[in-house]
Amino acid sequence: MDFDAIVVGSGISGGWVAKELCERGLRTLMIERGRHVNHRKDYLDFSPPWELPNRGLVPEDEVKEHYAIQGTSYAFNAGTKQFWVKDSEHPYSTPDDRSFLWYRGYHLGGRSLTWARQTYRFSDIDFSANKKDGHGVDWPIRYADISPWYDRVERFAGISGASEGLEQLPDGQFLQPMDLNCAEHAFKERLEKQHPTRRVTIGRCANLSEPTEEHIKLGRGPCQLRSVCDRGCGYGAYFSTLSSTLPAAQRTGNLTVITDTIVESLDYDHAKRRVSGVRVMDTNTKQRRSYQARVVFVCASTIPTAQILLASRSEYFPDGLANRSGAVGRYLMDHVQGVGAIGTMPGFLDRYYYGRRPTGIYIPRYANVTEDNSAQFVRGYGFQGKGERPSWDRGIDQVGIGAGLKQGLRDPGPWQMVLFGFTEMLPRADNRVTLHATRKDQWGIPLVHIDCTHGENDLKLAAQAKQDAQDMLNVAGCENVRSLFPQVSPPGSSVHEMGTARMGRDPATSVLNAHNQAHDVPNLFVTDGSCMTSSGCANPSLTYMALSARAANHAADRLASGEL
Amino acid sequence: MSVKDPKLNRRAMLLGAVFLVGGAAALTRFSRQSSADGSRGPVFSADQFALLEQVTEVIIPATDTPGAIGAGVPAFIRDLLMNWGSLESRAQIAGVLETIEQRTWSKHGAAFLELPDSQRLELMRVYDEESVRAHDPAYRKFKQMVLLGYYHSEIGATQELRFELVPGAWRSCLPLNEVGRASAFWTS
Repeated sequence: MDFDAIVVGSGISGGWVAKELCERGLRTLMIERGRHVNHRKDYLDFSPPWELPNRGLVPEDEVKEHYAIQGTSYAFNAGTKQFWVKDSEHPYSTPDDRSFLWYRGYHLGGRSLTWARQTYRFSDIDFSANKKDGHGVDWPIRYADISPWYDRVERFAGISGASEGLEQLPDGQFLQPMDLNCAEHAFKERLEKQHPTRRVTIGRCANLSEPTEEHIKLGRGPCQLRSVCDRGCGYGAYFSTLSSTLPAAQRTGNLTVITDTIVESLDYDHAKRRVSGVRVMDTNTKQRRSYQARVVFVCASTIPTAQILLASRSEYFPDGLANRSGAVGRYLMDHVQGVGAIGTMPGFLDRYYYGRRPTGIYIPRYANVTEDNSAQFVRGYGFQGKGERPSWDRGIDQVGIGAGLKQGLRDPGPWQMVLFGFTEMLPRADNRVTLHATRKDQWGIPLVHIDCTHGENDLKLAAQAKQDAQDMLNVAGCENVRSLFPQVSPPGSSVHEMGTARMGRDPATSVLNAHNQAHDVPNLFVTDGSCMTSSGCANPSLTYMALSARAANHAADRLASGEL
Repeated sequence: MSVKDPKLNRRAMLLGAVFLVGGAAALTRFSRQSSADGSRGPVFSADQFALLEQVTEVIIPATDTPGAIGAGVPAFIRDLLMNWGSLESRAQIAGVLETIEQRTWSKHGAAFLELPDSQRLELMRVYDEESVRAHDPAYRKFKQMVLLGYYHSEIGATQELRFELVPGAWRSCLPLNEVGRASAFWTS
């Protein structure tokens, strides 16, 4: 055996698996398809705007030619460009009339470098939802199973947030919360007065408001309130693979990392009913080779994980490895995006803030929790948002030039409140990732074909969220309240794609068991977003972390006991 | 610079002659620097750049802090169109300059560079108001470049507004006069 364990992918999930396995003494190989990135050294976080090429704008022709999809992300700019794939080099296929926006970063650390760092726990309302209303299959776990793992990953990652005592959004192990500003305070007070069961809290985020001993030992420091997180943070102040799990794994001496290496497929040894290893290709030389290990964790992210399993065909798994259920690639979900509102909060003009807080506010789900919407739809939605005073860029769309314009822009503008909805999406078999029948990428690997639409319930939720966003701003006394988006964005827009290798109780209808272990292949684990049985409405990364840590320790236990 | 500057004056006269004599054909010559095959030549002619300088300075004049010229905005826009802008963006910005020049000729029978400051300001004030109200995309792009060029220059960010590369702290609710001016950094 080359290694005890192989981890495919170095993003949020792969990083956690590698750390836990290494700390359990397992010789672990982490394989990343993209390039190596040096923590700190390769980041552009200390460049003021006038030192960035084109003040941070990526050339228009370059975006058109190479970043048609990635270029639409709010976080795409000259300071972050290195962390987005070139769509021109990494094509995928969708039906002509149904787009899916797939945002990707192929490099060491993956999207843990560019994520928005919002960290929320799922609750039993989420874990029991499928069983309760009959959409999808039942989660094989409940909150009690994952709660200690949430504790573990929160402590290590460092999550700033406030405890609220809510059933639908369990509290966690929080570092000091960051304060709401004046407008947000007023919004909270007025909204909660009118709707006592709607709660406004500070966005829980993976930024160190106050590092612990454990964080400092890893070389991490406190958040400096710069809000250039998606360029990478030289202070190591937010959780990423590079700031946190990778150094923790590396200090054990048990980790080997290889980059620029695509995993094409997994090998299956029918005699042992086990995967024996992975087949890889060097992206630069196109040379192929394989690596063997006792367990394999596929954490390539939701869509590539499905792609790898589907490509791993054999006599025993003609439809793809661990796919006797037929569920691999199906039940793709995201959170419905493109729902939101903005309004002007009058007053507080003599008040301002200092620093650039890396998180906003959060309104946890209330629909079908404290309010009954069951006649209209199942499930619910949450809101992120913020109050802020716009700066000079408001001058672009205002009438006025000359000394008057200049003078006016010396002060910040009136307070604006914005809310963005995040809407749960139901698991539906037709929302599916398959391998393209004919088209291949530059390495000869079949392209993924993504066919995904919003369902009726998803759109009903989104419509209500859109209305609620405006109503809540009005209730809070905002003026000129208007919708932010003409219509919902295509699936993929939340960058919360998940569900293509779902967990479940029944091997006939799901891919993974309660420990993220393939029903059909006991030494194969999947812990990235593809394992999700339902989407909830909260940002899912924290749940991937907890499930990854839990599954890795389960695998280590089973290896130690000789069962694997 | 003023129109008393002989070099500038000659240029203004030349421009004026072009507009008087050449009409639309001259305008085309004036604003289209990219060749017919779509290859990218220099962004601005010397005349266009001189006009750009004065127009941006009207939008953001020197007061107790430097204005657009002092902060390098004209060169920024030139470089941005060279290194960032598509041919479409170049044409849009050239079109804005062209429109300004046309408006000047039809209203004053002179080139923009020949106008006294007060007339420049009034002409631009009206053009700005009409374009913003009409949501003219080319003018919006131009104004965005002027403001980005100014407020994200070192001078604009640190002398005119307030810029901390590393704030180091979050103070959620302070008296405005304690914080001072608007933050030059925006995240949206």
